Amino acid sequence: MPELEVTFTVTVMKSVTLQEVNLNSTLCNYYFFSVNSKFINMIMQDGNKVLSTEIVTQTLEAIKRKQVEKYHKAPAAEREAIECNPYTIFHQALENCKPVIGLANIQKGSRTYQVPIPLTEKRRRFLAMKWIITECRDNKHRRTHMYEKLSQELLSAFANEGNVIKRKHELHKMAEANRAYAHFRWW
Amino acid sequence: MNLPRLYHRLRLTVVQVRSLHGSSNVQQVETAAVAAESDPVSSQFSVFRTSENDPACHTDLHAGQYYTLPTAQLRTLFPHGLPYRFQMQIKTFNEACVMVRQPALELISYLKKADYSRPALRYILYGETGCGKTMSLCHALHFCATQGWMVLHIPDAHLWVKNCRELLPSSSRPGRLDQPLQASLWLKNFKTTNDRFLSKIKTTQRYVWTKRETTEEGRPLGELVDQGVARVKSSSDVVGALLRELRLQAGGAAEGAFRLAVAVDGVNALWGRTTLKKEDKSEVLPEELTLVHNLRKMLRNDWSGGAILTTLSHTGSLYKPRSAYLPMELLGEEGFDTMDPFVPVPVSSYTEKEFESCYLYYMDRHWLQHPHSQTEEGKKELIFLSNRNPSILERLCATL
Repeated sequence: MPELEVTFTVTVMKSVTLQEVNLNSTLCNYYFFSVNSKFINMIMQDGNKVLSTEIVTQTLEAIKRKQVEKYHKAPAAEREAIECNPYTIFHQALENCKPVIGLANIQKGSRTYQVPIPLTEKRRRFLAMKWIITECRDNKHRRTHMYEKLSQELLSAFANEGNVIKRKHELHKMAEANRAYAHFRWW
Repeated sequence: MNLPRLYHRLRLTVVQVRSLHGSSNVQQVETAAVAAESDPVSSQFSVFRTSENDPACHTDLHAGQYYTLPTAQLRTLFPHGLPYRFQMQIKTFNEACVMVRQPALELISYLKKADYSRPALRYILYGETGCGKTMSLCHALHFCATQGWMVLHIPDAHLWVKNCRELLPSSSRPGRLDQPLQASLWLKNFKTTNDRFLSKIKTTQRYVWTKRETTEEGRPLGELVDQGVARVKSSSDVVGALLRELRLQAGGAAEGAFRLAVAVDGVNALWGRTTLKKEDKSEVLPEELTLVHNLRKMLRNDWSGGAILTTLSHTGSLYKPRSAYLPMELLGEEGFDTMDPFVPVPVSSYTEKEFESCYLYYMDRHWLQHPHSQTEEGKKELIFLSNRNPSILERLCATL
């Protein structure tokens, strides 16, 4: 992990808006900067990065609130099992959504075949994030906020349930069904 | 370095020194002795929490510590008074903990010493945005409620001068405008807080609402409030009548005597501009709104037997520059002259001790999840980023 040295001069700050403060604090989150920033860029529409960072921070806060509430209401025996860190939940949910094997369209003769191929790490991460975002944009109730929809989806992906996990399993099944065409792959 | 352990040791030495010097206040020595005895039992969290849940007994000893509001009473005490983020925090942490701070202690001590046969004193809490004015007001109101006062709490006066869907011309007076939705909602919440008083206080005058509906003299106030909740059209006039009755009867010598605490959050809304427009697109002045007009009469100090606690608020205020937080800037000429003999209570950001206490509370409630925020370095970054401002600190810690 590259060490990012954050140096700052101690100056007296008067009233600062929350947006300015939040942009500064992502510098401190250097451990999670790379994955988080990719997700923020994918949510961004029309170049409105401020809005998309707000959505992602609100999502993380919503996840944390739900988990901490569950933690405080649970009896002491179950408390160890409840994960409260929103960053680990986000990472784990993303891992659970990543497909292992993908399909590619390969033309042989006049027919196009769906051939199972291995995916690079980048492609897997991209597909997982894309599925989460499209699922939240299209299939949820119109009047809930995006951060609310995202937090619900991420929490269910963390528990290996939900529509995105289902979509991943369907992709795996398609690949399994088409394994006869696997020899069409030449790389 | 184990911070809680260090504080625990420091506190024990302070307690011993205090008892050695032989403080004249017996209560202090007793509480110190009790604290020293119970410390081994509850050592880890006694630094930032206190078991003293009665606001009347809070002293400087408890400054910076969190006390718990009983959850059963929260719905009746504060149906609409607490800030939204604090309500979310109560839901998440499964408890309502308020920090005992210097401005609230000051306000409570003034309330304890005031002479209630004289005209009501006005207190104004002012300070920069997010410093804890509303929370100090709620702390003082909890004190008033435990002492058996009647609490008249307007949670945010700005809500009455903007974003109003229905503006009806007043049924009783020409040239005035009614706000039925806001008035009936407020009456419902007022009823939840003060139910036990409403059957004892009687009206002193006959009120005629429409050709068929009247409220006779000598009926209990509960009927008046029900009238306002049921008949939404006349609810603003009901609010005016209610305020008038309470003003006349507070602190009376009769056996049903009660003290009245009028609490207005965002009092600068009553003398500012409004964003409401009449049908000919001209701007509505605050005097033309029935609710505002009656509330202004309540804030004059021509009645006795209670106290008027108010807060200035910049968030929600209309047409004011962002840097304005002093009474003169936010109230304007007219407002300042009306409120003029008042007791100002400044509210500032957390001191170092209060910040430590807040940080330890968040750690205890598992709110700080980022591994970096739990280190010394992370704490220094938090101090720098938030400048010890309570609301900015709370929002920062929510994202970490």
